[in-house]
Amino acid sequence: MTAASQLAQVRSVAAGGSAAAFVLLCIMTGIYAVHEPSALSAFGISNLLNNTVVLALAASGLTLVVLCGELDLSGPGVMAIGNVVVATTSTGSLGATGNLAAVLAIGAAVGGLNGFLVAYLGLQSLAVSLGSLIVCQGVALLILPAPGGEVTDTIVQAVSGDIRAIPAPALIMAVTAGLWLLLKHSRLGVALYAVGADEPSARLSGLNTRTTKLSAFVMSGIVYAIAGFVLSAEIGSGDPRVSDSFLLFMYAAVAIGGTSLGGGRGGVLGTLVGACILSVLQKMLFALGVADFYTNIFNGVIMILAIFFGQLSAWLARARHRGQG
Amino acid sequence: MDVAAPPLLAFRSVCKRYGATTALDDVSFELQPAEVCGLLGENGAGKSTLVKVLSGVVAPDTGTIRIDGKPFLPRVIADARARRVSTAFQELSLVPALSVAVNLFLPRPAINRFGLVSTRRIEADAEQVLQQHGVTDISPSALVGDLPLGMRQKVEIVRAFSHRPAVLLLDEPTAALSDRQWLFSLIARALRDRTSILYISHKLDEIRALCSRCVILRNGRKVLDSEVAALSDDAIFSSMAGRSVGEVFVRASTEIRRGAKPVLEVTHLKGSGIDDIGFSVAPGEIVGVAGLEGQGQSRLFKALVGLSPLQTGAIAIEGVTVAIRSPRAARRLGVILVPEERKSEGLFTGLTTMANISLPVINQASRLHLVNQASERRLVETVTPAVKLPERYLRLSISALSGGNQQKAILARALLAGAKCLLLFDPTRGVDVGAKQHIYAMMRGFVRGGGAILFYSTELDELVGLCDRCLVLYRGAIAGELARAELSQDVILALASGHSGGRTRRANPRAHA
Repeated sequence: MTAASQLAQVRSVAAGGSAAAFVLLCIMTGIYAVHEPSALSAFGISNLLNNTVVLALAASGLTLVVLCGELDLSGPGVMAIGNVVVATTSTGSLGATGNLAAVLAIGAAVGGLNGFLVAYLGLQSLAVSLGSLIVCQGVALLILPAPGGEVTDTIVQAVSGDIRAIPAPALIMAVTAGLWLLLKHSRLGVALYAVGADEPSARLSGLNTRTTKLSAFVMSGIVYAIAGFVLSAEIGSGDPRVSDSFLLFMYAAVAIGGTSLGGGRGGVLGTLVGACILSVLQKMLFALGVADFYTNIFNGVIMILAIFFGQLSAWLARARHRGQG
Repeated sequence: MDVAAPPLLAFRSVCKRYGATTALDDVSFELQPAEVCGLLGENGAGKSTLVKVLSGVVAPDTGTIRIDGKPFLPRVIADARARRVSTAFQELSLVPALSVAVNLFLPRPAINRFGLVSTRRIEADAEQVLQQHGVTDISPSALVGDLPLGMRQKVEIVRAFSHRPAVLLLDEPTAALSDRQWLFSLIARALRDRTSILYISHKLDEIRALCSRCVILRNGRKVLDSEVAALSDDAIFSSMAGRSVGEVFVRASTEIRRGAKPVLEVTHLKGSGIDDIGFSVAPGEIVGVAGLEGQGQSRLFKALVGLSPLQTGAIAIEGVTVAIRSPRAARRLGVILVPEERKSEGLFTGLTTMANISLPVINQASRLHLVNQASERRLVETVTPAVKLPERYLRLSISALSGGNQQKAILARALLAGAKCLLLFDPTRGVDVGAKQHIYAMMRGFVRGGGAILFYSTELDELVGLCDRCLVLYRGAIAGELARAELSQDVILALASGHSGGRTRRANPRAHA
C-alpha cells in the first residue's frame, strides 16, 4: 500500500504539471547561466528573486481562487490600493507595522466582498472581479492621482534587504511555499481542491462550498495586498497605475505552473516556479542578445509549451497507471 | 417488531415544487426501526426529490419530517448527518480529483496534532473501513476519477454505511454495481444494528429480496404503501406506470438475415483492456455482451468507434475492412455508440430536445447554414415515433426531461443519423419501466428493418430476454458465447465470474454468422 500511495503521490505531482514547469525552469536557468556566469552568484540570484517576488505573490493569491474553480481579476486593483496607501501614509503615525495591517485589511475586505458576491449570491466571478478591479483602480487614483508619495525606509529595507544574510525576497517566497504546504494539507486545502474539481459532489459530500469559496477569495485578497506592499517597498514610491501590467502575467504564471484554470488541479508551488520562469526567460533572452520586443512572443510560447508538457505528463501518468491496472 | 412502536422517521404531507412542476405532492410515509422499505416509481416520479429532501440538499415547501419524534429540518448535508441520516446518491457524490480515502472521510478528514490532514493515517483508516465493509479490491490511495463506475458506486455505498446511520437512503445503489450480494450482506448487517433503510430501485427482484414493505410514487404522489409479499409484479408495475405493462419481454421471432454479409465483424481485436476479441453481428441480429464491471466491455465499445486505441485487429462493416479512428468516422459508416454516461457523453444539456436529436443531420434541415425549423421538425418527427418520444417534449430543454425520455432522444438521434449498427451501452440504466419497454420495442423495430445491435447491459434479464446471442466477457476476453436457447442468468453469471466449466461450452464465434 505504501508503494501504491507513493505512486499516487508521484502521479499527482506529475499530473499537476508543476514537474514539467520545474524542469523547464532548470533548463532555462542553465542556458542563462552559461551565457551570464554571474547568474548563479549570490547577487545574481538575489536580483532575480527581487524581480520575481511581487509577481510570485500576486500569482500565488490568484492560484487559491483558481483552484476552487473561480476566476479573479481583482489582484492588480488590490495591489494598486496597497501601493498608494503605503506611499501616502507610511511616513505618518501609522508606522510600518500599522501600515502593513491596514493594507492587509483592505485586501481582506476586497476579497471578502468578491467572495460574498460569488459564493453567497451566485454571481459570476469573472464579472464580479472585473468590477472590483475597476473600482479598486479608481479608488487608487482617488487616493493618489499622480505618481508620487514616499515609502518609509523601514519598509524598503525590511522587504528588499537581507535578513541574516538571506535576501528578504527569498525568505518571502520560502514562507509563501511553507504556508501553502500547510494550507494544502489542512481541511480547508482539501476542501479547495474538492470544490474546484466537482462542486456538486463536494456539496453532497457535506462540504460547505460557500465558506470554502469565501475563504479562498479572502486569502487571495490578503496575498494580493502583501504583493502590493512588497511592490511599494521595491519602487519606493506610489504609482496608481504601476500594477496594471500584472494581470495577464499572473494568469501566465498560474498556467505555466500547471494549475488548471478550470479548478481542482495544481498548486502554489507550481505558480512560484511559473513566476520564476517568466523572470528567467526575460533575463535569458537578454543574455542571449534577443531584442526586447521578442520577449512577449517567447512568454506566450513558453506558456503554451508548459501547458502542453504538463498535459503530456498527465497523459503519460494516466497511460502508465491504466497499463498497470 | 411491535406494530405500535413509534416510527423512526415520519414524513408528513411533504410538498416540493420546482417552478411549474410538482416534484412531491402531499407525500406521507413512515419508516420503522430496523426495516428496509422499498421506494419505487418511474423516473420523474419524485423519488430523487424525496431523497434530496431527507438529505438536506433541498428544503421542502410544506410538510414536516420527524426523526425519533423530534422535528428534522436539514438545510445542508451536514445537518442530516448530525441526525444520523446518510445517503448513497444515485449520481454519486464523490470528488473525482481526490483519493478514495479523502472521499470516505469528507467533509472532515482526520487531522494530526499540527492540524494537518495526514495522508498516511487516513489511508490506513480508509483501508480498515473498506475491509470492514468487505471491499478488498479498491486501494485507498487511488483517485476516485481513475476508478470504473462500478467501483465508484461501491465507494459511495461504503461511505454511506460507514457513518453508522440510523436512517440510510440508498438511491439506485445497484445501477452500476454488479456484485449485488455484497450490498445485500451489508444491508443485512446494518439491519442487525437497527438501521432503517429506504431502498430506491427499479429492479423488482431486489425489492422482493430485501424489502418487507414498499412505497410507490407516481407524478409526485404516493399511490401505494403496502407489504411487498401481498403485491404481484403486475400490480407493482401498473401502480408505477398507471397502466398495466403486461409481458415484460415480448419474444419476437428472430429477424436474423443469415445469408447477408454481417453488418459488423471484428477479428482479433487487441488493445488496452481487451484481449483478442472477435465476433460478428448479422443484419437483424441483437448480440448481447455480458460481463461484470471492468471486464473490458467499456473499452470494447469505445474501441469500435475509435475512442480507445487498438493494437491489432480488424473491423469490417458489411464485409469491407475499415479503419475507425473517431466516433465521427464510425457515424459515417453507420456505427453509432449510445454511451454509458448519458449526461456527460450523450447530451447537450443547454439545447432543446429537438436540437439534441437533429444535431448530426442538421445540414439536411438548413439552407445557407440557416436552420429551417419546419424542416428540422419534419426530420425529427420521422424518428420520434420509433422511440415513442412524445412530441410535446421536443420544444423543451433536454435537461428538463426524465432519464428515460433523455435516453429516447439519444436513441432517436442515432436513428436519424442513419445507423446500421447500434452499439448500446447499458441503454436502460436509470430508465423507468415504461421507457424501458419503449426502448426494447425500438430495438426490435430496428433489427426488423435490417439493422444490427450490439447490446451491453448490467441487467441480465434484459440480455436473456432480448438477445439472439450473448458474448460473455471475462478479463478482457470472450469467456464464452451463448446461443439464444441456452441463455439464462445463471449460465451468464457463471461464465462472467470466470467459472467456465459446468454445462456451458465455448461456442465457435463464427457458428452463427
